[in-house]
Amino acid sequence: MLRHRRLGDADRIVTLLTPARGKVDAVAKGVLRPRSKLAGHLEPGTQVEVLLAQGRSLDVITQAQTIATYAGIRGDLDRLGTAMYLVEVTDRLTIDHTEPAAFELLAAALERLERGDGAHLLTRTFEMDLLGEAGFRPQWDTCVVCGAPVEGEFVAWTPSGGGVVCPECRRRYPEAEPLAGTTLKVLRAIQRGPYEQAARIRLNPALAAALERVMHDLVRSVAERDLGSQRFIEAVRRTAESEPSNEAISADVPPE
Amino acid sequence: MLDPLATDSAPPITRLVEAFHRLPGIGPKSAQRLAYHVLRAPATEAHALADALIAVKEQIVLCGHCQNVAEQNPCRICEDPARDRTVICVVEEPLDVVAIERTHGFRGLFHVLHGVISPSDNVGPEDIKIAELLARLRDIDTDVAEVIVATNPNLEGEATAMYLSRLLRPLGIRVTRLASGLPAGADLEYADNLTLGRALEFRQEVR
Repeated sequence: MLRHRRLGDADRIVTLLTPARGKVDAVAKGVLRPRSKLAGHLEPGTQVEVLLAQGRSLDVITQAQTIATYAGIRGDLDRLGTAMYLVEVTDRLTIDHTEPAAFELLAAALERLERGDGAHLLTRTFEMDLLGEAGFRPQWDTCVVCGAPVEGEFVAWTPSGGGVVCPECRRRYPEAEPLAGTTLKVLRAIQRGPYEQAARIRLNPALAAALERVMHDLVRSVAERDLGSQRFIEAVRRTAESEPSNEAISADVPPE
Repeated sequence: MLDPLATDSAPPITRLVEAFHRLPGIGPKSAQRLAYHVLRAPATEAHALADALIAVKEQIVLCGHCQNVAEQNPCRICEDPARDRTVICVVEEPLDVVAIERTHGFRGLFHVLHGVISPSDNVGPEDIKIAELLARLRDIDTDVAEVIVATNPNLEGEATAMYLSRLLRPLGIRVTRLASGLPAGADLEYADNLTLGRALEFRQEVR
């Protein structure tokens, strides 16, 4: 389940991400009443099996049974922030009744988060894969304008163009930003996959921050808005600044 | 379909129908029924309604301590010398204060956040009354030893509770959360895994 919004006094419209029909909205009746049998099963970020009755405009949820609550995520503020971000990105990058593959991507990312994988690489992998599924696959090997191979210690890239630009074509994108070769190598490795291999990359904090910035700029450019969950992740980080990070920290760069 | 708001009624009636329609949970038909009820009611009843509406905007202030809506600042609860000043119960909305007061089981003070952290609605920690709570707890004269976080047991409520807990930990204040489990009169068969799991985890001795 991705999101809910209130409908009248006690009902909600919930946005579900399904494996067969992509993103769908449905009405959960009476879900705000304390004795509601549906309420506990319909929480954003949980995996749930629902029975939908076809309605005139929106389907109505008649039964709901939780499949995965991800208790580990819900009990950990940092992981909860990441999960909220994964869910919000999915919601923003998908259109109703399309991208059924988004379900598998989100379920896999939440599973990895639940079992304790490092948040940085699983989030970057998820963003990269979901952008691809949504038709916005970032281009890291060749120029987004002329298709020429792009290499170098520092290259230019543009969020609106969706990837790197060669020195010749850079003129067309005055807003193009520099991208360090190391960051580019990791972006390529994440895109090449599989996740299990990308997850072995060891990131130092500066590289993790650079990757995060690039992928957020891309996501924001496609979603055409800032994401509230990113603001929350940053607020949570400020509270934890004095606490040590539990993610692997080193400066190893993966071989291409 | 006929739009009940686009009536041929006199402009004052249309204005009243539109005003009612803006209220939460009031559809166009209900708005029309309410407006005609006011029209038919004695003038004193209409004046009483108008006075009540104006009073709620003009006479209600936020308490400078607990941020609850009140007739005076500080509010009645914050001023009451019989209240336990070592415990603050943090709630999402003013109505939650009413609900907890109804239990007669809590004698401490309150703090109303006026919302909950909800990233999907773009509501962050700085958009609710967390800074005011921190200022209150950092006050040199504070006696507060425990903060009970009584946000709703849903995703947003839990995110808020954990965020507050991390923020208050360095102040050396005990942060607790309302117990979570099965509601009175519940049916185990329909309970969700999370609730049932917590009910088992935090089970109590039968006395």
